Amino acid sequence: MDRLGEIHQLIIPLPGYTVTINLEVLVMTGIVFFLALTFGFAAGRKKSLLPGPVQVIGELIVTQLYGLTEEALGKTHAKTYAPLICALFIFLLISNWLGILPHLEEPTRDLNTPLSLGILGFVIAHYVGIKEKGFKIYIKSYFEPVFFLMPLNLIGELAKIVSISFRLFGNIMGGAIIILVVSYLTYSILLPPFLNVFFGLFVGTIQAFVFTMLTVVYISVQLK
Amino acid sequence: MTLLAVDNQTLTQIAAYVGGAVAMGFGAIGAATGEGYTASRAAEAIARNQEHSGVIIKNMLVGQAISESASIFSLVIAILLLFMDVSDPSIVKAAALLAAGLCMGFGAIGSGVGAGVPAGRSCLAIARQPATAGRITTNMLIGTAVCQTPAIFAMVVALILLFKPIGSVAAFPTCAALIGAGLSTGLAAIGSGYGGGMAAGASCEGVARQPETTTAVTTTMLVGQAVSQTPSVFGLLVSFILIFKSFPASTTLSASVGLLSAGLCMGLGGIGPGIGNGMAAEGAVRWVARRIEYAGDLMRIMLVGQAVSQSTAIYAMVVSLVLIFVV
Repeated sequence: MDRLGEIHQLIIPLPGYTVTINLEVLVMTGIVFFLALTFGFAAGRKKSLLPGPVQVIGELIVTQLYGLTEEALGKTHAKTYAPLICALFIFLLISNWLGILPHLEEPTRDLNTPLSLGILGFVIAHYVGIKEKGFKIYIKSYFEPVFFLMPLNLIGELAKIVSISFRLFGNIMGGAIIILVVSYLTYSILLPPFLNVFFGLFVGTIQAFVFTMLTVVYISVQLK
Repeated sequence: MTLLAVDNQTLTQIAAYVGGAVAMGFGAIGAATGEGYTASRAAEAIARNQEHSGVIIKNMLVGQAISESASIFSLVIAILLLFMDVSDPSIVKAAALLAAGLCMGFGAIGSGVGAGVPAGRSCLAIARQPATAGRITTNMLIGTAVCQTPAIFAMVVALILLFKPIGSVAAFPTCAALIGAGLSTGLAAIGSGYGGGMAAGASCEGVARQPETTTAVTTTMLVGQAVSQTPSVFGLLVSFILIFKSFPASTTLSASVGLLSAGLCMGLGGIGPGIGNGMAAEGAVRWVARRIEYAGDLMRIMLVGQAVSQSTAIYAMVVSLVLIFVV
């Protein structure tokens, strides 16, 4: 119970300021990278017309996400951004599922991971917006409908980062805390496996998909 | 420091009991209402299509089980509050326990009612299109699970309030800040939970009406629900700031009331946008199922409408942040 919210940190004091590194998150992110690369390698190694089981899963994820991106962004943009979207989804999916293995925990449980991914999506969306519409029209969109609403439009844009990253973080951390507390209350009898399936696999998949779709939507809003 | 001429141990104990009662009492409202709605729709469904009553009853029970989870969260928090062994009684701890109860109690209302809506409408949908019962139940499960998000946020805040070591902080704005933190997430979750349920309910109908549009309908539903949950995400953010920021000691009443009002402002300000965004999502999802060829336009109009409705939640957040950092 005392482990609630505890983080192993490496604190490096430098003159003037301190650098804090969350060790567990780094290790877990590394594990996720490794698993994602293994999956990609296994899916793409022996490409054949009669696909093996791993290739089927890989093709399923990629074609579905490619289709959704194409619907939202159109054919030309989908070619550029669909690989990013697929990679984002696979990374988040493996991250959110990692917590069901003993001794491992989700990198998305630490706010740093969702927040940096949220900022990534935000920067890409605005880059696309400036590139497509031109700087002048892009800036002009902040002064609509009336020019003095500019600060609120700006806050509205920044609030998107908050909403996308805190949603993922809150769900994953909430699930993890609920599993921890209920396991403690029931002495880990009977309930924890079901909770792991619900919060780890089910909610984890949905939230990975929601995060990915919102990134696509944010890009598509800037395009129009 | 003592208040009401009782010692800190008694005060903390009182707060824990009141908190537990509030958590479970309010927490029961939503789930019970939602489950009743589900059962009433199931009755209607069976009356229309009695041959498939077995599938409908199964679907109703699964849906009710998920709507129930919000009140199970409340039960967990209430039991923790009742049996908690308080090692460091103080007025701040008392405020934290009361706030945990308030947060979970209010936070469970919206998700409970909200999750009942897709569960009920999916029963009707099965009566209408029994051949796609499997798909409708899957869609309903996804929708109701996402509806639980605001209740999960409330539970996270409640658990942090319960277990965060108090340490040596200034008793007097901190008490108010903690209660504000509980109110912020708890109240903001009401609208978001119900709004998400409206979107999910429309998607169950949509899948029954046009089974081939399932992918587009589920995607629109998830995006719509995600945006309707944004007010509760803002509530969570304000709660985190109120819990983790350390405030300078001040015994003036205005400093305390300011922080309490910050939480209250975000909490109440989140209710309307949550429901409004849910309505926007409901409309979009319903019409995506009927006119799949306009799915892109419908999604865009939904997002634009939600962004405008959302702006009121952003005003509330701005006012609470000003109350926390400026005033």
